[in-house]
Amino acid sequence: MIRHAFAEGLIVLRERAVVSVILAFALGVPIAFAGVGLTLQHWLGPVADLSGQKSSVAVLLHPQMESGERRRWIAEIAIDHPRWTVSEVSSSDLAERLQRWFPYLEDLINSGDAALPSLVEILTDNPDSVTVLEGRAEVLAIGPRSSIQQTLGRVARGLALIVGVVSFVLLAVAVLLAAVWVHLELYRHSDEVIIMRLVGATEGTIRGPFLVAVAIPGLVAGILSVVGSLVTVSGLSQLASALGLSAMSIPASVLAGQLAAGVFLPLLAAVVTLARYAADATEG
Amino acid sequence: MIRLRSVSKEYERRTILDALDLQVDAGEFVFLTGPSGAGKTTLLRMLYAAEHPTEGEVWVAGRRIDEMVRAQLPLLRRKIGVIFQDFKLLRRKTVLENITFVLRIHGIAPREAHRRSMKVLRRLGLQNRQAAFPDALSGGEQQRVAIARALAYQPRLILADEPTGNLDADLASELLSLLCDINYQGATVLVATHDHAILESIPARTLVLHQGQIHYDGMWPP
Ligand SMILES: Nc1ncnc2c1ncn2[C@@H]1O[C@H](COP(=O)(O)OP(=O)(O)OP(=O)(O)O)[C@@H](O)[C@H]1O
Ligand SMILES: [Mg+2]
Repeated sequence: MIRHAFAEGLIVLRERAVVSVILAFALGVPIAFAGVGLTLQHWLGPVADLSGQKSSVAVLLHPQMESGERRRWIAEIAIDHPRWTVSEVSSSDLAERLQRWFPYLEDLINSGDAALPSLVEILTDNPDSVTVLEGRAEVLAIGPRSSIQQTLGRVARGLALIVGVVSFVLLAVAVLLAAVWVHLELYRHSDEVIIMRLVGATEGTIRGPFLVAVAIPGLVAGILSVVGSLVTVSGLSQLASALGLSAMSIPASVLAGQLAAGVFLPLLAAVVTLARYAADATEG
Repeated sequence: MIRLRSVSKEYERRTILDALDLQVDAGEFVFLTGPSGAGKTTLLRMLYAAEHPTEGEVWVAGRRIDEMVRAQLPLLRRKIGVIFQDFKLLRRKTVLENITFVLRIHGIAPREAHRRSMKVLRRLGLQNRQAAFPDALSGGEQQRVAIARALAYQPRLILADEPTGNLDADLASELLSLLCDINYQGATVLVATHDHAILESIPARTLVLHQGQIHYDGMWPP
C-alpha cells in the first residue's frame, strides 16, 4: 500500500501545488536560518567564551620555564587561590587559536621555529583578583581582564538567542501550517475516507497519502535549507577571509539535521493531526 | 453466519428495531423486505459495524461485532461484500480504480487486481466504462460498479441494499441470477429490497420487517 500512498499523496500535491510550495519555503527558510546560526556558533566556538559563566583571564608565562616547573607553579597558585580554576592551554590549542585570527601565521606556527609562550587561563568570578600575579618572576604578562573572548562570547550568545528565537517562531508557524493543511485535506477527503473505511481499508492505507503529501514538501524544504545555508555560509566565509579571518564551513551534522528537520517536523505535525482528527472527522 | 440476539436500535428515542432475534446460516439466500423506513438499511449497517445496536448482540462469522474495537473493523469488513444503497463509489477514481482499490486493500498484487477487476467488470457489462468516473455514469451503471466492487474479492457474505433499485427489469433479473450463482458457490447472500417483482421471481427465505419486528420469516412465495 506504500505505492498507493505515494500515488494518492502526489495527487493531493498536484491539486494543492501552491500550498505545498508555500509550505516548503515556510519550513525551509527557518531551518536554513537555524543552520547558519549553528555554523556561526561552531565557528566562534574555539575563540569565544560561550559559557559566559565566569571571566577568563589569560596569563602568559616565560617561555624558558620547564614543563615540570610550570606544572608545579600552576598547582601552587591553584592551592593559594581556591576560587580560581587554573588550566594550561596546550600548545596545539594555542596554535589553533592564533591561526584562527592570524591565518597568515600558519607557516610560521607549523614550522616549529616560533617558541610559543605557555598560556595559562584562570577562570574566576572576580577577574581583578588576578592582578596579584603581576610582578611574579614567572609571569611574562597578564591579559586584559575583559577579554576579546568574552566580548565575542557575549555577541555570539546574543546572536544565538536571536537566531534561535526567530527560527523557532518561524518554524513553529510552518509546522502549524502543515498541521492545518492536513486537517483541511482530511475534511476535503472525508467522503472518500468514510468509503475506504467501509470497504475495509486500514488506518495506514487511509492516512498514508496525507503523510506523503507533507513529507514531500518537507523533503524539498530540507534540500532548500541545505542549499540556502551553504550559499549563505560561503558568502559569510568569503567575508571572513576578506577580513583576514579563517574560513567557515557547515558541519555535516548540521546539514543532516536540516534535512531530518525538514522531513520529520511536518510529518510529526501530520501524524499528530491525523491521530486527533482522522477518526472523528470521518466517522463511517 | 449472522446472529442477532434481541437487538434494539433507537434514534433519538424513536425505536427502529425492537428486540430483534435472527439467525442466518452459512450458504443461505435471504430476502429482507418491509416498507420504506422499516430499518432494513439500519439492520444491514449493523452487520458491518457501521452502526451499533442500542441493546443486544450482533454476531457475524462467529465473532461478536458490536463490541469490536476500531482496529478490528477492517478485517471484518474485508470478509463482507456490501452493495450500498447509495453506491459509495470513490468519486476521484475511475470505475476500474474503484475496483482495483479494494482488491489492493486485500493484499492482491496490482497485476492480479487488474485482471480480476476486468473480469468482474465484464461480467457486469461494464468493460467499456472502465475509464469513466462515477459522476459520468447513469444510476444503473453506478449501481453495477458498486455490485462489481462487492463481488470482486469473492466474499463469503454479501449484503445487498436495494441492489436493483436503479436497474431495469432485464438487468435486475440478470443481477439476481448472478447473486444466485454466487450463493450456489457457497456465499451467504442477504438482499434488502422492497421490489415485489424480485421477491416473486425466485422462491427464497424472506424476512418482512415491520414496526421494528420481523413479521414474517419463511419461504416466499409460500
Ligand atoms: N443516522 C440516523 N439518525 C436518525 N434517524 C435515522 C438515522 N438513520 C436512519 N434513521 C431512521 O431510521 C429509520 C429506518 O431507516 P432505514 O434507512 O434503515 O430504512 P429502510 O428500511 O432502509 O428504508 P428504505 O427502504 O427507504 O431504504 C428511518 O425512519 C430513518 O429516518
Ligand atoms: Mg434502506
